[in-house]
Amino acid sequence: MNTKELLVQLSNVDGPSGFETLVLDVIEPILQKFCDRTWRSGLGTLVGEKKGSGKKKIGIFAHADEIGFVVTKIEEDGFLRLETVGGVDPKALLAQRVKIYSKRKIVSGIVGTLPPHLQKEEHRSRFPDYDRIFVDVSFDEAASEVRVGDVCVFDVKAIEVNGKVSGKALDNRAGCASLLLAAEFLQRMKHDSDVYFVFSSQEEIAGPGAASIAYELRLDEAIVVDVTHANVKHSVYPVIKLGEGPAIGVGIPVDYGFYKRATEIAQKHGVKIQTEPIPGRSGTDTDQVQITSVGVKTLLISIPLMYMHTPVETVDPKDVEETARLLALIAAE
Amino acid sequence: MYLKELSLINGASGDEGRVRDFIKRTIQDKVDEVWEDRLGNLIAFRKGTKGNRKILFAAHMDEVGFMVTNIDEDGTLLFAPVGAVETQVVVGKQVKIKDSIMGVIGFKPIHLQEKDQLLKPIRYEELRIYIGARNKEEAQKMVSIGDYVNFVTEYRQNGRRASGKAFDDRVGCSVLMDVIDKRQRYENDVYFAFVVQEEVGLRGSAVVVEQVKPDVAIVIEGTIAGDDPGLEKDRWSTHLGEGPAVTFMHSGYVVNQKVFQAILSVAEKHGIPHQFRRRTPGSTDAGRLARTGPGTASGVISVPTRYIHSPVCMIDLEDYANTVLLIEKILEEGEVFAK
Repeated sequence: MNTKELLVQLSNVDGPSGFETLVLDVIEPILQKFCDRTWRSGLGTLVGEKKGSGKKKIGIFAHADEIGFVVTKIEEDGFLRLETVGGVDPKALLAQRVKIYSKRKIVSGIVGTLPPHLQKEEHRSRFPDYDRIFVDVSFDEAASEVRVGDVCVFDVKAIEVNGKVSGKALDNRAGCASLLLAAEFLQRMKHDSDVYFVFSSQEEIAGPGAASIAYELRLDEAIVVDVTHANVKHSVYPVIKLGEGPAIGVGIPVDYGFYKRATEIAQKHGVKIQTEPIPGRSGTDTDQVQITSVGVKTLLISIPLMYMHTPVETVDPKDVEETARLLALIAAE
Repeated sequence: MYLKELSLINGASGDEGRVRDFIKRTIQDKVDEVWEDRLGNLIAFRKGTKGNRKILFAAHMDEVGFMVTNIDEDGTLLFAPVGAVETQVVVGKQVKIKDSIMGVIGFKPIHLQEKDQLLKPIRYEELRIYIGARNKEEAQKMVSIGDYVNFVTEYRQNGRRASGKAFDDRVGCSVLMDVIDKRQRYENDVYFAFVVQEEVGLRGSAVVVEQVKPDVAIVIEGTIAGDDPGLEKDRWSTHLGEGPAVTFMHSGYVVNQKVFQAILSVAEKHGIPHQFRRRTPGSTDAGRLARTGPGTASGVISVPTRYIHSPVCMIDLEDYANTVLLIEKILEEGEVFAK
């Protein structure tokens, strides 16, 4: 598989939390090539099973959902109001095109802005919040198809930026891509563990997707693959850099022994890694998966990503490939 | 209509070459004469059958955009707006530097912002363009200070509507190209000026009067609409779908009454839907043409355009078609400006 093409393909498919089917429809046929069998859970999670000798069960998780919006009000003259699904900075939404998934048609909208000529101090001094932001669907002849409750996503196609990939939803389609690549790697490796590739739902709203499937599978170990903020200095934390390899989490939601093992495997096989301290909640599925059933030994691997929760989320395909290699090595160990 | 092609061409103020080349290539065999002047304006001429007076139509080729002003140590680019672009429309956009290098403009992720930062206006100095360079040295091999930056926006049409970038004023350029395409010869001499640097102080149009010496000038614009929930209805400027907008005054210029009445009388006579531009902020090249040389009696006709000076503008195609029609009828009524 070509990593860049895979990332672009997965970024361009739409699936806000609770609406992941289109994403899973893209992932499943690829996953099937590398797994013994695949199935979907009642809560909309996709699982691929790759049997080992049954020594233990290890689950590798990536959430398939993305942030998005939902239509909350339809106003006259072809305008709509939105609320967010997951956390979206209103600053990243103005002057964007959006797609609204109505029952029968995909409707094209524009998040309108006041031209500078008509702005006054009141407009310039404060950014519009979701009470003021509106979507103009008058552009689309199918505008009347839109109903309250329809989901909405950024209408943007991923691009390449000097070898990196930039687009929407790379949180966490980058993680999904690394799982698919890991499954492909694992084809050529001998592994004792039964390995489960889990593409979970509703992570962006801290929903029930990952934990419920972890319970169902009775896992011994779980690796959660998500993204982390890259190239930004914040608080007391080290700067995680794009292109410098996956960041391995150390701290509360992570099993320390598993963390040590992962770093040793990385060192042995020359996988360049970064370290991300997690002194509390991680804000990923790890938080839930760890405390499922009788407990699961968890590891959190994060792919560095710039501009999280915007339409220009950016990842380095090399980081995705190295994450995949490390996942396969850990699973086969 | 050439709006799609024109919208997709990158040409911020001072960087109009690609727009000019496209227009020149398309119109040169359809007019009697066409020339490029010292500042980069493109002026086309079609001789009249009587030549009693010279009518000048003008549209500006430039669009708002950005310029690279510095390169940071981490390989990201600092930039400043060329023309009026609010920072509100900048975050989360794809851009192209010097018409070739792809970049993106992000912002500190919402997770890392303080609560009071969420709705706080952004200053340009807080924004960067990421071009995938690891550091300053690598970035310097890709771009230079002074390079132009444009939004990347697909052009789309759906039913009566079109959307894309740079409609201010590629809409005006396309309208004039459509008028040229009719290959009609009128009583008066007609000049079509595609001018540079309107968005940065009405600069290009300043040198057109000296070259043409027109009796009357009409500027064709994609103008502010504001007919959306962002404003109270009574503050809307123009309404999409209600026809070309005629300006009675804007910043720095009250439209010459003779020209204003002439435009209205032709629209009324031929039953062409039209409306007034009901807000006065903003200016056009009409102001410049009126205060250059001996002064030219100038008017403005506009296609109402939503969300101008942002990456996604929108027009109504009937308004566009009626603007083309209105100009043709004005030209057919050769003596309308004599009154």
